[in-house]
Amino acid sequence: MQFDSFTFLAFFALVLAGYNALRAWGARKWLLLVASYVFYSAWNPPFLLLLLGSTTLDWLVARRIDAAEDPRRRKLWVIATLLINLGVLGYFKYSRFLLDNFAAALAGAGVNYAPPAFDIVLPIGISFYTFHSLSYCIDIYRRRFRPTASWRDYALYVGFFPQLVAGPITRFTQMREQIETPRSTTSAGLGMGLALLILGLFEKIVLADSVFAPIANAYFDAPGTADSAAAWTGVLAFSGQIFCDFAGYSSCALGSALALGFVLPINFRNPYAAVGFSDFWRRWHISLSSWLRDYLYVSLGGNRGGEWRTLRNLMLTMLIGGLWHGAAWTFVIWGGLHGLYLVLERTMRAHLWPARWNNVVLRFAYAIITLLGVCTAWAWFRAADVSQGWQIMLSLFDLHAAATGIGRLGPSQLAVLVTFSLLVLVHALFRNSGPIPWFSRLPAPLLGLLLGLMTAMIVLSPGDNHAFIYFQF
Amino acid sequence: MRSSTSSSSSIRHWGVACFFCALVAVAVCVGTELHWRSLGYESGIIDSKLLWAEQRDQVDARGSRTPLVILGASRIEFSVDMDVLEDALPGYRPVMLAINGHYPLAVLRDLAEDEDFNGVVLCDIDARGLSAHYFDMQQPYVDYHRKQWTPSWRVHRRALDLWQSTAVIANPDFGLLPTLLRWSGGRADPWKSHIRFHRDRSADIDFQRVDTAAATQAFVDGFKRRLQSDPPPSPEQWLAGLAEVGKWVAQIKGRGGEVVFYDTPTSGKLREYADEAFPPSLYWDRLSATIHAPALRYTEISALENIPLADGSHLDFRNKHEYTHALIDALVDRGWVQR
Repeated sequence: MQFDSFTFLAFFALVLAGYNALRAWGARKWLLLVASYVFYSAWNPPFLLLLLGSTTLDWLVARRIDAAEDPRRRKLWVIATLLINLGVLGYFKYSRFLLDNFAAALAGAGVNYAPPAFDIVLPIGISFYTFHSLSYCIDIYRRRFRPTASWRDYALYVGFFPQLVAGPITRFTQMREQIETPRSTTSAGLGMGLALLILGLFEKIVLADSVFAPIANAYFDAPGTADSAAAWTGVLAFSGQIFCDFAGYSSCALGSALALGFVLPINFRNPYAAVGFSDFWRRWHISLSSWLRDYLYVSLGGNRGGEWRTLRNLMLTMLIGGLWHGAAWTFVIWGGLHGLYLVLERTMRAHLWPARWNNVVLRFAYAIITLLGVCTAWAWFRAADVSQGWQIMLSLFDLHAAATGIGRLGPSQLAVLVTFSLLVLVHALFRNSGPIPWFSRLPAPLLGLLLGLMTAMIVLSPGDNHAFIYFQF
Repeated sequence: MRSSTSSSSSIRHWGVACFFCALVAVAVCVGTELHWRSLGYESGIIDSKLLWAEQRDQVDARGSRTPLVILGASRIEFSVDMDVLEDALPGYRPVMLAINGHYPLAVLRDLAEDEDFNGVVLCDIDARGLSAHYFDMQQPYVDYHRKQWTPSWRVHRRALDLWQSTAVIANPDFGLLPTLLRWSGGRADPWKSHIRFHRDRSADIDFQRVDTAAATQAFVDGFKRRLQSDPPPSPEQWLAGLAEVGKWVAQIKGRGGEVVFYDTPTSGKLREYADEAFPPSLYWDRLSATIHAPALRYTEISALENIPLADGSHLDFRNKHEYTHALIDALVDRGWVQR
């Protein structure tokens, strides 16, 4: 179920009440686990079996890895779990993409092959819980910690409903103590949790769905008919939408976990105020970028093999990270663009002007370049296909038309530009902070006033319910 | 977070914050609601894919009564009295799947592909709507039901029904952003809708709240425009396109169901233009024999033909009762449904 639904409000109230009514920690954990599975089943009940199977298998395999003394056996077990997890993910997410590209390659060689028509439904959250499971097994393989003996605790780590379908992708080390040590709802946790929930719903319902989505959808549905100013507005609208949509989800996840006494890692730290692309990736979808760093970039060799290998590993990591988001070449190009940004940035920092990197004017200019680079890349992320992506790029870089077209923008498009500018300004002002310390510092009446206005704006923004964008990944 | 403060001060802090939060939220929302109500606006259910999907579920609901599925567009959605259908045909469970402004054949295809469906379909459609390129108009609704409709949304939609029936501010037209954009652009407040939806998706039109002459002219002009941009297919092309429809009908009949095609009443200029563009002798009259399904045109029943249509296409809700009885009589007399 979605956080922005009446169903979730009722569900969460019931879970919170039941959780606090139970005294025994074991019983509370069972309640959370069952609630998490109900939460997941509300989308597509049969896929709960897949989640259960994946959870149980990885729990068993992790114990085997830990028990095996022979390094080769340990390696075999970890390879087995990689193959199984990535195989399942690949089947659901990439089989259509691979078949279509295989057919296109054959067609290029003059062989006519029509792949069978099949319509695979992607199990929601599969990319996220697969990464949970993989990090657990790989960390046990790397002897970072011993596996848990409790299936329930492991299942709760993978399936805990606030983070089950779209993250944050937590590590077992971040959750183990919280799962094993009794905890309960506190007034501070409940208050801050509900405040984060309101903030998340505000970002999702008011900003992403009401302000940004209509303009982004209208533009990307027919980019060929728009001029350059409309193209920039459409791309900035999507840039605002994807941040508010995903950060909104993450705030709701953090808030609902906090209300239950659990602390999840933050997933966003004002990314549109990043100075540089490596800084952007330390602020955007932090749990994924750190996962890719620890389990992919490091496994590829990281920065251990000299400059060229480092740059190659960066590019490969970003390409694979792009493909993780979706089975389409547009995602690969998006990842490739970010890889290129990172490679260029790293090279410049090392060779061109390392001494001037802290110059204020340079940093400001580079922050603007970063923002524009990130937003331009979002166009590929949202484009329907590669040809549409090119079409959008050509529109964006027709700067004369962009300047003359600004006067023709409608009020909804101007509202997008103003809101996006405000969003960037907020990111810049709170660049190294976050909502939790800020909410904590506000006097209670002012905090209440702010949250009350946000709640009113949520209620006053009815409309179609849009699925969270990251659910499709 | 104030984790270091004492528990009681934390409770006080968050208690005060909650109090102000609730106070401000309630004051702003109630104030806005009262504002719109003072201008004469009323709350009401808003039709959506979710509401449609909820009714689509009713087709497959278990029970002894045969589903009587109503397909079509606004003419039947706004004309049939569902309570009269329930009372007059106690052996049937009427389900409204017609969608305003969309020809219905995608849903007929969906029912044909539904192995469990063996009920009766009353499909409101005119000759133009049977042209092959209109087959997919309602497909987004079918796709939504198949791919996105979940138990969670079912619960959400029930609560939304209640909220929309209660509050004017549940209507997106009165949302914060649309209101701000209207005010900043100096545009008028939203149109006071003359259409009122029910939870079963049937709806009432109150033509006393509308300039009927303007509405009639708008329909005629719109129809003429559409005919210019999308001229009628030749009768042969039209008949060829029906082969697929015939297969869907055969699938439903093969499971013991029935499909009745029904061309709902039009009048005045709209009727003239429609008959001129699609002469019944060349189009509609050949439908039944081509797809082996019963077809009823309003001209066959004087009670239907003479029903007053305020805009040449739709009837006022005060005439729904009479109209629905006349329609039921026609269906029963021909043996397509039983009382």
